[in-house]
Amino acid sequence: MKKKILLIEDDFTIQTQLKTLLAGNGYEVFAVTNFSRAIGQIKDFLPHLVILDIKLPGSNGFEICSQIRTFSDIPIVFVTSSNTEMDELNSIMLGGDAFITKPYNTAILLAKIGALLKRAYPASQPEMISWNEAALHLESSMIEYKGQKAELTKNELKILYYLFRNAGKICSRNDIVDFLWDNQLYVDDNALSVNMTRIRDKLEAIGLTGFIKTKHRQGYTL
Amino acid sequence: MSQKQYLKNQIPAVFVNLMGMLALALFLLANGSSMHTVLFIFIVWLIILITYLSITYYMRKKYMDTLLDMTEQLQERYLIPEIMTIPDRADDQVFYQIMKMAEKSMLEKIGEIQSERKEYKEYIEQWIHEAKTPITAMKLLCENNRSSFARDILTELEHINQYTEQALYYARSEHTEKDYSVREINLCDVVHSAIADNKYLLRQSNMTITMDELECMVYTDDKWVRFILNQIIGNAVKYRTGQPALHFSMVKSNDKIVLSVSDNGMGIPQSDLPRIFEKGFTGQNGRTGKNSTGIGLYLCRRLCDKLGIGLTAHSENKGTTIALSFQINDFVTGVQG
Repeated sequence: MKKKILLIEDDFTIQTQLKTLLAGNGYEVFAVTNFSRAIGQIKDFLPHLVILDIKLPGSNGFEICSQIRTFSDIPIVFVTSSNTEMDELNSIMLGGDAFITKPYNTAILLAKIGALLKRAYPASQPEMISWNEAALHLESSMIEYKGQKAELTKNELKILYYLFRNAGKICSRNDIVDFLWDNQLYVDDNALSVNMTRIRDKLEAIGLTGFIKTKHRQGYTL
Repeated sequence: MSQKQYLKNQIPAVFVNLMGMLALALFLLANGSSMHTVLFIFIVWLIILITYLSITYYMRKKYMDTLLDMTEQLQERYLIPEIMTIPDRADDQVFYQIMKMAEKSMLEKIGEIQSERKEYKEYIEQWIHEAKTPITAMKLLCENNRSSFARDILTELEHINQYTEQALYYARSEHTEKDYSVREINLCDVVHSAIADNKYLLRQSNMTITMDELECMVYTDDKWVRFILNQIIGNAVKYRTGQPALHFSMVKSNDKIVLSVSDNGMGIPQSDLPRIFEKGFTGQNGRTGKNSTGIGLYLCRRLCDKLGIGLTAHSENKGTTIALSFQINDFVTGVQG
């Protein structure tokens, strides 16, 4: 089931773009437009997580946060452009779970959301992602195909994870490196080539020949 | 108070006295007094006059000296009318009044300037916060529509963000006491977030990043350290050469943890090294058209001083190493066991 996120943000561009970004990462997003009615909409939408701007026209994030806390324990992420200690302290005191300042790094924002959701709603089965009978086990860092398994390094797992998640689409080398950087793996272009060769060797060993296809000058695809 | 000047000021009084003596002498001689009597009266008169002059001189000098002393000891010297006793002499009172007036207008001016500065600082901070909204929006727009064009814009946005942060911290660095909270943070996390802040900049410059094991807790303010690291990373990108590389390492000793950031860029000439943390100093590298402002490292030093972080730079021909040394507080770790 898709996790639902409620977005309370007054800047229209940020609101729509954040919606696109979150929807692209597998969340169902609802943006509040009438800030005085935010509480009612939270009760209707029943989100798993709330992203809350502090400065809002006609209202403010702290107020909304303390109102939410009267009836719900859902994770609340504060986003704001003013990074003063006072604001940060206030947000923690009122029961906010995270405090992110603009301009936020989208990778960090997504990671924080993911971590908060995981903590608040622990998943029962181990995380696994599959494509064409091949299964990628995220927690044990393994790839499995027809009963055969191969172990993966951190870099290899992340590269494969990115390809699996965008299965069917072409992933450019640049995007893959960006993704690795977002996961704190500072790999350059040459290292990516080395990793790709190693992944292909490992895949071949378990019978997945030609699993990753190279699109000339565009990137890779599953 | 100079004696000579004082005597000069007393010339009229002395002159009047001498005239009086002369008139009295003429009068007495005309009335048939002897020369001896006249001389005697002269001498007595002179003694009285000299005694009077010296006593008033010393009293005046004592009064003036204490006043001068008091002023010198004051930090805000313009406040002297507040602590001095109101003088008794009529002419002194006029001067006292003048000083009072001068003090008042001075205080008004200072108050005016202070409130103007405060307003300006608040305006700058507000402006920066406003500017961050469109920066965020642009960043999201680019990230949602990835292309090489968007990547270039993201790089430029990182520049803009660094400049706005610089302005923000510059405005704040005066009143830092209010704006930092020291807590236990993981060095590793700060380094990663600083790299994330400069991701596109580093990617575009083909920087190779390596780091040692940095898992280590220090007590400091993460926002500030992140800002400092951002400046250092920014410099490493700006002064890069051929195949740029950046290395983060950490050394732990008894009483401190040293985080070193080393690049293999053009380095800093030995003659410039002692001055790189000075405000507005751009040095030889700055003169070769690298668009140096001389603000970044100055701000780093300022923030480090306030946070009690040691900041040193090291460079030999090629490459620069900037080291941040964090004190390990025995009290905190000791109590927590």
